[in-house]
Amino acid sequence: MRPALALFGYALAVSWSLPPLLARLTGRGVSVRLGLAAWLSAMASALMAAGLGIQSLFGTVRADWPSLTRAVCRSVAGDACTPVVYRSALYELGVGACALLVSAAAVVAVWRYGRRTRRGRTRSRAHARAALLAGTPLPGTGAVVLPDPRPAAYCVPGRPAAIVLTTGALNVLDGAQLAAVLAHERAHLSGRHHALVLVTRGLAAALPGVPLFTRGAAEVARLAEMSADDAAARASGRPTVVAALLAIGTRTAVPASALALARVPSSLLSMLPGRADAGLAAAGYAVPARVERMLRSPRPVRDAALGFALAVAAIALAAMPVVLAAFAG
Amino acid sequence: MRGFGDLETEVMHRVWDHDGPVTVRELFDELRGQRPIAYTTVMSTMDNLHRKGWLNRDKDGKAYRYTAVASRDEYSARLMREAMAEAGDTEAVLSHFVAQMDGEESAVLGEVLRKLAGGERA
Repeated sequence: MRPALALFGYALAVSWSLPPLLARLTGRGVSVRLGLAAWLSAMASALMAAGLGIQSLFGTVRADWPSLTRAVCRSVAGDACTPVVYRSALYELGVGACALLVSAAAVVAVWRYGRRTRRGRTRSRAHARAALLAGTPLPGTGAVVLPDPRPAAYCVPGRPAAIVLTTGALNVLDGAQLAAVLAHERAHLSGRHHALVLVTRGLAAALPGVPLFTRGAAEVARLAEMSADDAAARASGRPTVVAALLAIGTRTAVPASALALARVPSSLLSMLPGRADAGLAAAGYAVPARVERMLRSPRPVRDAALGFALAVAAIALAAMPVVLAAFAG
Repeated sequence: MRGFGDLETEVMHRVWDHDGPVTVRELFDELRGQRPIAYTTVMSTMDNLHRKGWLNRDKDGKAYRYTAVASRDEYSARLMREAMAEAGDTEAVLSHFVAQMDGEESAVLGEVLRKLAGGERA
């Protein structure tokens, strides 16, 4: 019984207590890859611990159930309780009901996961296909343009995947900013970020109300955006990425020369929500937080320490279920 | 852009450019002027598009006459509705460069732009 309890306790702690802590470590996107690794490792760890816990529980039930039912039976019925009573019907019913409940819950979760990811894949492919057929190819970019006054740029996986720009986006972006946007979207596709999003969204749909998976899905999506921002910054420079974010976000053209980026940081950064750790993770501030991140100057020592902590966390989380299963018994 | 999907795109665009129904022969004659292409290739491409629900066709004598199921603008509008939906409304995995924002976030971003553009005016 002890390994099962330890594993379940651990799974619950990781699922409910860890997300706020992990969000603090990964929220600013200091080390995007290690941040992603930590979140995914935490999810895998909780699922694995729960799985091992169930396995261990069934083992215990099979081994100890007769004495357990006998004790319960005797305390209720006294001497009237004979082996004939506690060995047959109760045993079968008890084990059967328990197994049925757990299996039903697992089946529902798996079914929800499957439905969500399958629909996500189908809808995405249909969207990509329709965009490639109905859109106008933008020469030399591999992207297609759809007529809409609202500035938007996005990619969608499919066979093949599509990068879509609206005419509104082309109206507010200059050449360099457009290149940054395209680099951002290509990074999503080549990094297979959509697969991460699909899987984590599926888990969130399978286990609704469990913070590790609901918040985790949002944090993984945020980290994927930051990772793509980094790729765009490598290709086009941070000021251009900032200008492109502001142009699409505010729906106005933002000439890079108009941004006095060199002088800004202190006064601007204090205004952005990114500085407050609590507000940072709020989905509503995703874009200002990305601007803040692009403008922030790196702090090598602190960043390296944070990266190290995330790496240790990712490894510890991955190892924990096996360690618990081996030593708690 | 690559391969066979290319041709499907080109065929769709040409069908949309026609006001009325169009036959394989008519499209083949148009395409042949642009590049070397076989009649059967055009035919199977249009057959594919019909099978995938993009083209309607009616038998007219021995040949089929093809029309687009919906206009190009209708498809664009449909795609935009899905792309611009509030987060969570769509199950497609669309990675927006800038996600849909609420009023507060837009206001913050506008303020950021003013500060960045105006230097230390505040």
